[in-house]
Amino acid sequence: MDDQVVRSLLSVYRAGEAEASEGRFAEARKQSESDPVLARWWAKEQLLDEIIGEKLQSAPVPAGLRPRLLSQDRPVVTTYRDWGRKLTLIAAAIVILAVLFSSWRGPFQPAVTLAEYRDEMVSFVKVDPSLAVETSDFGRIASYLEKAGSPAGLSLPQGLRKMEPAGCRTLRFRGHDVSLVCFRRGGGKLIHLFVVDQAALPRLRKGESREFKQEGDWMTAMWMEGNQAYLVAIEGNRAALEKYLESS
Amino acid sequence: MAEEEFERLVEAFYMPLYRFGLSLSRNESDASDLTQQTFQTWATKGHQLRDRSKAKTWLFTTLYRAFLAQKRHRDRFVGMEEDEQFEEPSSLTPSVVDALDARAVQDALLALEERYRAPVTLFYMKQLSYREIAEILQIPIGTVMSRISRGKAALRERLTDAADTEERKVIPLKEDTGNG
Repeated sequence: MDDQVVRSLLSVYRAGEAEASEGRFAEARKQSESDPVLARWWAKEQLLDEIIGEKLQSAPVPAGLRPRLLSQDRPVVTTYRDWGRKLTLIAAAIVILAVLFSSWRGPFQPAVTLAEYRDEMVSFVKVDPSLAVETSDFGRIASYLEKAGSPAGLSLPQGLRKMEPAGCRTLRFRGHDVSLVCFRRGGGKLIHLFVVDQAALPRLRKGESREFKQEGDWMTAMWMEGNQAYLVAIEGNRAALEKYLESS
Repeated sequence: MAEEEFERLVEAFYMPLYRFGLSLSRNESDASDLTQQTFQTWATKGHQLRDRSKAKTWLFTTLYRAFLAQKRHRDRFVGMEEDEQFEEPSSLTPSVVDALDARAVQDALLALEERYRAPVTLFYMKQLSYREIAEILQIPIGTVMSRISRGKAALRERLTDAADTEERKVIPLKEDTGNG
């Protein structure tokens, strides 16, 4: 490992961090211990960080802030025991209702899950989301998603493929990674594509036609492709959305 | 019980939360409001947090989300992401930084790009692990480390500039011309 790499790794080394025991950090540490020049440099770096940290921590906080915070409304006093009992009863009631409902309306059960997914995703993009990568290069987006361990290898409708990508990010839904890719559609508006593994929505059926749903000012379409569930959301109506979903 | 916990959290975290808010908003009044909003959210929703040991991360995450919600009208994106690469810090010396006042160091931090400001601030706070910082900023841990590395390098460049400016501000004493 050359000196420059060692120095750049040590610049983020923190003893006690789980990552500190990673091979490359351990190697950089070992090298700094055996090289006097690196050892001196490393000691100076730590001192510098110490001083910068102290200076930043000594920057003043407004004197009135603490009393302002302590005089604001306090949490409602509720004991955990009360909550525990209430939650247990509520949970029991939900389980019983869910069992009854699923045995009675089994075929319709997935719609509830899909609606939750759709609602949460649309809520997320109603406030412009910050993107981890802003680029018009779809290859870069695909590579980022793959590296992040989020659904990648996306199969896009032809209509969407023609649009200029704006960027992407990942988010989580019920413990599953979701890839969000945004495309520009003019007028400063975006097309939002969410892709999640089928496992997140186990009862979403393959081969069914796209399911369109209006969510306030937003129109959404959802479908399965391979082992991935696709959800597209735009501000507008069905006709506006359908043109991005054309297959040829 | 809830009231005691509230006061304990205010005492323990209002200063780091304010400083985090300041690093994001670069405005003292906004930072105070963000801090207050965070504790208001705790007062109404804090009881929903099952694992109380996560209160610290919850507070920082809540403040960060409040900031993102506020800035959504200003700019749409955080900018181009970089690969996960680390930077070698510049050759700034401890004595130069020690000679600077806290305000100058803070100003240098606030002059950084937003993507670096937040992780670098949390790094120097020393209260959160990389994993927790990643959770708060909703970015992968490798990205946290690369932003801290690059942010620190950028901060040191700005500190070097600040030190040069300070040096130029020192007015030399008038030389004795020997005519008197």
